[in-house]
Amino acid sequence: MAFEFLGEALKLIVLAGLATAGILTILIWKKGQATKVTYIRFIIQAVATIAFFYIFTYPIWMLIMLIVIFVMPILLGRLFCGWMCPFGLYMDLITVARKASKIRHRDLPDRLNKFLHSFRYALLLVFLILPIPLLLLEPPQSLELGIILAEVLGGPFKPMNILVGPVIPLVVPWTSPLVVENVYFSYPYLSDITLYFNGIYASIFIVIFVALTLVGSFAIRRVWCRFCPTGSSLAVVNRFRGFKWAPSVHLDKDEEKCTKCGICKRVCPVQVTEVYEQKGGKIDTSMCLLCLRCVEMCPYEECLKVKIGRKTVFKSRNWLEPSQSD
Amino acid sequence: MKNPNELQKKYVPDMGQKETEDLRNLIQSDSKKTIADYISRMKKTSPNRPKAMEYFDEIANLFGQRQKELQATKESGKKIVGYFCSFAPIELILAADAIPVRVNSGWYDAAKIGDRVVPVEVCPMVRSTIGAKMVSLSPYLELSDALISVSTCDGMTKLGEIMGDYKQVWTLPLPRVKDSAQSLSYWNKEIRATKENIEKLTGNKIDKKKLRSSIELVHKATKAFRRLQELRKGPPVIMGRDAMLVNQSFMWDDITRWTQKTEVLCDELEKRAQEKIWACPPDTPRVLVTGTPMIWPDNWKLPSLVEEASPQGVIVADELCSSDRILNDPVGVDEWTMDDMLHAISERYLMASTCPCFTSADGNEDRINWLINKVKDWKVNGVIYYVVRGCMLYAMEYSRVKKVLDTINLPVYYLDTEYTREDVGQMKTRVEAFLEMLTARIDF
Repeated sequence: MAFEFLGEALKLIVLAGLATAGILTILIWKKGQATKVTYIRFIIQAVATIAFFYIFTYPIWMLIMLIVIFVMPILLGRLFCGWMCPFGLYMDLITVARKASKIRHRDLPDRLNKFLHSFRYALLLVFLILPIPLLLLEPPQSLELGIILAEVLGGPFKPMNILVGPVIPLVVPWTSPLVVENVYFSYPYLSDITLYFNGIYASIFIVIFVALTLVGSFAIRRVWCRFCPTGSSLAVVNRFRGFKWAPSVHLDKDEEKCTKCGICKRVCPVQVTEVYEQKGGKIDTSMCLLCLRCVEMCPYEECLKVKIGRKTVFKSRNWLEPSQSD
Repeated sequence: MKNPNELQKKYVPDMGQKETEDLRNLIQSDSKKTIADYISRMKKTSPNRPKAMEYFDEIANLFGQRQKELQATKESGKKIVGYFCSFAPIELILAADAIPVRVNSGWYDAAKIGDRVVPVEVCPMVRSTIGAKMVSLSPYLELSDALISVSTCDGMTKLGEIMGDYKQVWTLPLPRVKDSAQSLSYWNKEIRATKENIEKLTGNKIDKKKLRSSIELVHKATKAFRRLQELRKGPPVIMGRDAMLVNQSFMWDDITRWTQKTEVLCDELEKRAQEKIWACPPDTPRVLVTGTPMIWPDNWKLPSLVEEASPQGVIVADELCSSDRILNDPVGVDEWTMDDMLHAISERYLMASTCPCFTSADGNEDRINWLINKVKDWKVNGVIYYVVRGCMLYAMEYSRVKKVLDTINLPVYYLDTEYTREDVGQMKTRVEAFLEMLTARIDF
């Protein structure tokens, strides 16, 4: 038991070490360049994807997922979506491929984008409410909270599976229909499709879904993130004024330093307009993935800031400033 | 497009050859004297003037080295594209292997010639530019193969039209409401059309590689430019006039060389700041100038008055499209595709500008914000709001600026003038009174 625990701890330490080493390498390599954050983010995303593979090998993964999906956003907003989500990483990689092929992204109309954003809450609600009538039809043996919760989330309708959909790594530690040499491959939401459809229909839907998301994210950056039900932000502390004391992660804009040049709006992968439109202060939006691309690209020093509570952790800088090294 | 050989004179009266030449020679010799005079005065004001300024003194001579260089490059087949407003996308001009030069005129006497075409109520900068063209005074305007005019204020709109008597003019219609999505898409189409026009004129296709390298070239210039403005945040290491001349010489200088020389200047200034060698006593009142653009050489009277006055003032920042606003905003490219680069260019010129010709849902908020930011970061003691007669937009925005500056308890002084030397004495009294008040406030 002790050795097993030690082994797991070592695994995690190795992961953390990998992440730090990667970040340090990039920091040294890219010193004074505008795209630092993007590279760091890629490394963290890659490490997170591997970490999710490990997490799925634990029996308590469901609990970890619950924390990640429902507890983390309270303080961190959708930081998870921007920095850890494996599906996000796949879409970002497709974006890199698109950039390499010199094709510009397309934008969704702002209205549609905003509609999709609210639509996600409806989706989430449906997935969370539907199990309740099912539960009433087939009452559980015990009325303990834990068992009810397990029934609701993991019961016949399996809303939990839908919620962890985007977190499924490409290689999974369980058996899946796609198998090459004992390595099981999967794709976000594939298990959900096989849950609701059988046989040939499942295959057809899988092909359609994979093709749609691949093509979609090639044309439109982070297309799934715009209505992904997992990405519903529960950032209550970010949204309401009464929680000013809470150390939540949020963007902050200095009104006087902003010339409204519009760069933040253009570079945003999910087309958040609030950063541009809002006059100043805390950026109040639940669409933001906190990927920090806007902070990285803002050319006015200290105009955009990332704050944890009242402490500034990262701020936009004059990215044209001559660095001391070159 | 019209064939340049078939241009009709719709506005400008015919002038005799001899009269034109006489006037030109007269103003030109006068102007040479003025340039030399201003430079010697700038040297006198700051006895320990940075050595790197020597280059800019030379390039400031409009009839000197740079004119010859441009003539030579033109003969080698390169095209020169002139522009009137800082809205003209110089990245596109550079990418087509042409040379951008800004051709606004600052000659006082030329304004009087311009009076023959437009009434005196019109902005003197417009009149002066017309006059300069009538007597072929400005070497850069003469050398331009085409002109980019942007319909910002009324004067600029018609200036482009009048210049059509002489040259091929591309007028870019500027949407007046900045923060609407339609404006941006409209402006983006105009920028694309300009790209095609430039390609047609030069015969060079603007491709991804060229555009990227020209954007990066201007980035480097912006870097040097911003570095200079940053240095002005501290105690004065450089007189405001010198810095303004450096900024302004970007309008006609070769960009690579300008960047290099500005970096040299900044290196020198940094060293001075470390050694605590100041251009003037650190408690000199720090002034910000905003309003109508001031064009070298003649219209240099306000900066000269401020920095030669007693008590002396020092201009640490300005909000002029002829100086601090030229290069402040970079083109922020997200993805290096043609499409995105053009989007970035159109955004940089439309959205980042704080020209008073704009209005928006919340009024021209951006200009106010940017002014307050400048005032705070550059630790300004007082603002001089400079307006020439006929400059409607700046004059009309004054009340708003004053109200805002009053709330942060900052004195602002409205100074209206003309393209004339006659009111220098009177202006001197007014500027000195203002500076005295600022000094008293600092001591207090």
